[in-house]
Amino acid sequence: MLLETKGLTKHFGGLAAVSHLDMQVNEGEVVGLIGPNGAGKTTSFNLMSGFLRPTGGTVAFDGHDITGMKPHVIAKMGIGRTFQLASLFSDFTVLENVVASFYLYPKSGFWQAFFNTPAYREKEKYILNEAGKVLQLVGLYKVKDHLAKNLPHGHQKVLGVARALAVKPKLLLLDEPIAGMTRDEIIFFLGVLEKMRSQGITILLVEHNMEIMSLCDRIIVLNFGNKIAEGSPEEVRQNEEVIQAYFGSEHAA
Amino acid sequence: MVSGLLAQVAVNALMLASMYILMALGFALLLSIMGVLNFAHAVIYMAGGYVCYQLAAVYGINQWLSLVLSAVIVGSFGLFLERFCYRPFFGDVNRTMVMSLALIVILESTVNILVGSYVRSVPSFAPGVMRGGGVSLSVERLVTFVIGALLMLALILFMQKTKIGQQMSAISQESIGAVLQGINIYRVSAVATVIACALAAVAGSLMGAITNLNPFMGDQMLVKAIEVVILAGIGSIGGVVGSGLILGTIDSFLPLVLSGCATDALGLGIVILILLFRPQGLFGHEA
Amino acid sequence: MATRHKYDSGAFLVKVKGKPFKSAAVPVLVILLFLLPLFVKQPYYIHVFIITLLYIIVVSSLRTIALSGQVSVGHAAFMGIGAYFSGVISKELGWMPWLTIPLGGLAAMFAAVLIGYPFTRVRAIYFSMVSLFGGIAIVNIIRVAQKWTGAIGLTGIPPLSPIDIPGVISITFLGEKVSYYYFTLLLTLVCLSALYRIERCRIGMTWKSIAQSHLVASSVGINEVGSRVLSFATGCFFAGIAGASYAHYNLVLTAPTFGFLPSIFLVMYMLVGGRDRFGGPIIGTAILVMVPEFFRSLKEFTPLILGAIMVVVVFLMPQGIAGLFDQIKARHGQDRRRKVPTHAA
Repeated sequence: MLLETKGLTKHFGGLAAVSHLDMQVNEGEVVGLIGPNGAGKTTSFNLMSGFLRPTGGTVAFDGHDITGMKPHVIAKMGIGRTFQLASLFSDFTVLENVVASFYLYPKSGFWQAFFNTPAYREKEKYILNEAGKVLQLVGLYKVKDHLAKNLPHGHQKVLGVARALAVKPKLLLLDEPIAGMTRDEIIFFLGVLEKMRSQGITILLVEHNMEIMSLCDRIIVLNFGNKIAEGSPEEVRQNEEVIQAYFGSEHAA
Repeated sequence: MVSGLLAQVAVNALMLASMYILMALGFALLLSIMGVLNFAHAVIYMAGGYVCYQLAAVYGINQWLSLVLSAVIVGSFGLFLERFCYRPFFGDVNRTMVMSLALIVILESTVNILVGSYVRSVPSFAPGVMRGGGVSLSVERLVTFVIGALLMLALILFMQKTKIGQQMSAISQESIGAVLQGINIYRVSAVATVIACALAAVAGSLMGAITNLNPFMGDQMLVKAIEVVILAGIGSIGGVVGSGLILGTIDSFLPLVLSGCATDALGLGIVILILLFRPQGLFGHEA
Repeated sequence: MATRHKYDSGAFLVKVKGKPFKSAAVPVLVILLFLLPLFVKQPYYIHVFIITLLYIIVVSSLRTIALSGQVSVGHAAFMGIGAYFSGVISKELGWMPWLTIPLGGLAAMFAAVLIGYPFTRVRAIYFSMVSLFGGIAIVNIIRVAQKWTGAIGLTGIPPLSPIDIPGVISITFLGEKVSYYYFTLLLTLVCLSALYRIERCRIGMTWKSIAQSHLVASSVGINEVGSRVLSFATGCFFAGIAGASYAHYNLVLTAPTFGFLPSIFLVMYMLVGGRDRFGGPIIGTAILVMVPEFFRSLKEFTPLILGAIMVVVVFLMPQGIAGLFDQIKARHGQDRRRKVPTHAA
């Protein structure tokens, strides 16, 4: 078990955005987190990646309790993530975005960097190489010198994934990665997803799009901050509660 | 006598608190509604004092009328300020800051050149001393406090009861509902700026009667306003009142024990401590 | 900025935001500055250059802090910390200024770390507010300390000790403006080179990442607060160095020199010059310090002239004076941006 939450809860004022969430993600899996708007999906992500402190419950990753840890510490432990919005270094080029993200591995010290030691230069060369590889993986290598903010939306989201890969994650949290993408972009992205999976990266993703859900090994459904269903894509698709949550009680599948 | 001294210090505390609060409210409004660090607030305060002086001492208009006129005149300047100085650069942190710095530099030095080193102060609004029970209090300071408190109440009522006031309140607390309701943010900013300037002008006029006028008198008040806002916290207009009271009390009582500048050192220490343990201020909510 | 930037992977510098300033103007300018005392003889003008150079260091260091998204409106206070620390230590303990100047920088840096941690936890404009307050409080503390000694200012600060290598070189500083000028020029070149290097290597890149998106930066493992404190401390270190150098030049210090208005002016110099380019603070400081000097007869109107310049810049030049070049380039459609293909592959 790579990631596990127990009783994870988050209150905003009087409102419970996430309520006693128990879920697990196992190594090598692709798990989908779905639910209507406001179900608490992004909040859960933020809780798991350290951007929000839980009001209750625990999060454990790779055998360690990471509840309430700072996001940069969690990144170091091997969780990478993308964001729904504003997920770029907008004034950097595409390549610089990825190079900047290679902060942790390998890490350079202040004086090393300042005095431009051979060790530093080696590391930077390595990073440049790796960054190029990542960009080729996600298909953005050709636009590497373009300013990130000038990219079309779909490309920007893919860039976000490229960036998340820079922390050499064991677990990748993708927050609505294909929202706003064109048909072709989606197909391409699914290919990238496959490549990542084959490299052994565990993936937990949030999405609305039912199609991407068919790729998942397992799906967890949230509504109003609670887990209401869990299972394989087929099981979930036929689940009464899930259908109600999405389409309202008048409609039966 | 101790009780006499205590009473005087208490009145002083209230007076200072109310003036700090007037300044801080205006400053905080502009900060939370337009995202502007209005350094110019210092000169608005100063301008209020000088305009009042000009009207009352030079043109011989009745002080109370001068006070009101000063607030009106300087308040209208607020319209100009919002429309031409801040609105064009809405959202651009760099340029609004340069603008606000430019204002304080230009205005302070203009006044310095025009008026310079002559010592002057606004004619007293309520001269004299009140005696009772062996205690003598400066009426001036009491009156100042009362006016400040009344204005504070007026503002609070305004923000709760009137439509524009409620809009102001909504925006300053960054509620998403404000955006969705389609509030005309420019109109709200304009109103807020006028109010902020008027309040500062009143404070400047009142304080100008108690202390002397000088082109740089606003600087210290600006610092106090910022201190109050830091203490109060992000997005908390109500907290400004509480912090103002705290600060007014500190600034009134401490100089009895420590030298004037040590109070500032203490201020820094307090702010650091607060920021360490509660970055959102005493009354603010989580940023 | 719409232009493409070619990522120069060959060089060991990690390039961020534009090519390094490859113009021939820089070496030429440096040479001219070295030759300056040959043309300019009046001590007063040499003095203006010395002061300008020192402020260039301070404003550039302010920009270093601004790289991480923090605009400090209390920066003059740290100049003051360096100045007073070096002044007092060298005066009371008799240490050579050559030693106490770096110590002044360290003192400023230490103060920055001390109050930096709580201060940098607040973001953006709130940081500016808090730093304004901090700057004033620091200066007031200095005033208190001065009052205890019964003085209005710090006087009797030793000048830079003479460099005397028999048979090789002999330089005295006391009363020799030209010696001070060369010292300041060299100091400025060293400090600016250091700041430039920091900005262009990974350290600066990290700071710029934080400024652009602190969320993303955190998600790739960057310790946001730690990096911001580092940026703050670095900037204050150089401000302290400049301040200490000023102390041993002026030989007298008064607290208002490092107070509210000077801090505001520093921010002004930086923003008017242009916050985006390294040369911005240099241009801004040079213009805003030297122009009033040449209109010295209108002494009182100096701030008005400054204000006027600021207003013109803010309305016409969004990126400051240094950004003018980029502005004109963009206007004339010289961005050679390729059409981005619809396919990522």
